[in-house]
Amino acid sequence: MLLVFWILIIVAVLLIFIFLGYYNKFVLLGNRIDNSLAQINVQLKRRADLIPNLIESVKGYMKHEKAAIKEVTDARKVLMGAKGVEKKVEANKQLESALKTIFALAEGYPDLKANTNFLELQRELTATEDKIAYARQFYNDSILAYNNLCKTFPGVIFANMYGKKERKYLQITESEKKKVDVKF
Amino acid sequence: MKKRIDFRDQITRNKRRSVFLMFSVFVILVLLGYVISLAFSPAYFFIIMIVAILFSMSYILISYYNSHRIAIASVKATKAYKDDYKQYHSLVEGLTLASGLPKPELYIMHSKQINAFASGRDPQHAVICVTEGALEKLDKNELEAVLAHELGHIASYDMRYMTLVAVMVGMVAIISQIFLRSLWFSSGGNDKSKIIFMIIGIALAILAPIVVYIVQMSISRKREFVADASAVKFTRYPGGLIRALKKIKEDHAPPEKKVSKAVAPLFISNPFGAMGKTHPSLDKRIQVLERM
Repeated sequence: MLLVFWILIIVAVLLIFIFLGYYNKFVLLGNRIDNSLAQINVQLKRRADLIPNLIESVKGYMKHEKAAIKEVTDARKVLMGAKGVEKKVEANKQLESALKTIFALAEGYPDLKANTNFLELQRELTATEDKIAYARQFYNDSILAYNNLCKTFPGVIFANMYGKKERKYLQITESEKKKVDVKF
Repeated sequence: MKKRIDFRDQITRNKRRSVFLMFSVFVILVLLGYVISLAFSPAYFFIIMIVAILFSMSYILISYYNSHRIAIASVKATKAYKDDYKQYHSLVEGLTLASGLPKPELYIMHSKQINAFASGRDPQHAVICVTEGALEKLDKNELEAVLAHELGHIASYDMRYMTLVAVMVGMVAIISQIFLRSLWFSSGGNDKSKIIFMIIGIALAILAPIVVYIVQMSISRKREFVADASAVKFTRYPGGLIRALKKIKEDHAPPEKKVSKAVAPLFISNPFGAMGKTHPSLDKRIQVLERM
């Protein structure tokens, strides 16, 4: 009788641990998703903050490229005003292509290309672009881990119990995914 | 999904192995103390044993909490400041975003070789060190791949186990060496048991480093493949690492003399040249990567 009692106690304690463990797992993985989302926003903001400096250093040299410069400032405005990460990433794409135009045009201005300030900004902007890509990748990785936990047994039982739903991936268009491989 | 589980298993395994290693080193050191006390001065048995135990404990604690500093100091690396090494910093920052790890401290080793290593007891106390040669000779994608490989070691807790082995092995070698040397100069007694214990002492002193050397050799072979795989997971681009490994293979910088043999397995490729037994061959690694 006493033995059965103890076994029941042990089983109950074990069950509590499993319940708590799974709960924590969901919270941890959920936090990881939120955190990686915040990282994307941090990098996007850094990028937007660099733009005014770039415009400032470019303006003096590229007097005849008003349209291209305007495109960059407009894209930045859209990015600053965008709500939600999907929209922001979309706006960032616009900004990226506008920047590409500026950097391509810069090739025609030897004085600008010799400007260390400009080179520094160009380097910095490319670096943030890489970081945005990595932050997005980690965001999707985190969602994958979370969704796997939600969908596979025995996680699926706890997911239903705690009301945890699958999360949506950040969509990336095909053309963007290709990493440009520069060979010298 | 499967790989993810494997990865977590590897972390647990590395932590368990680290504990086991520290325990074994403790036992070996105390045993050495026991042999020394019996061989030389049975009268002071208890004092020597207490000293041996205290010494082993502090030794293990000190090497556990300072392993990365010892490793960095042993290769005479210096801190890489952000203003001087912008690309290095920015690549690591990108990779920490891709891996979700905190940013490790970055160091530079003054060597013409293309090489790198990671160290530290956990991701919060990690360091990455690359050679000047690597920064000069590798392009951006290749350097990024090498750094991703090192972050892979950090993520899997490889570097805890590997650094502990390197630091503790290095010390065991030195201690046994001292023990052997002191035997040379001690005046021999006629007591039979004394001679037996001296033989055991010598055997231990010879065996200890060999045993740990075997452990050391068994660690990095599989780990390098796993770290290569995580590098690809972080960068999503095997090409960079393939080219980096090819460059390392064709690089003809002279073998490193400043590096202690004990820390060799920490590096991405053996600093003592291609003949080393501490790493899988670069060709094999390139082959595996090309299949990804």
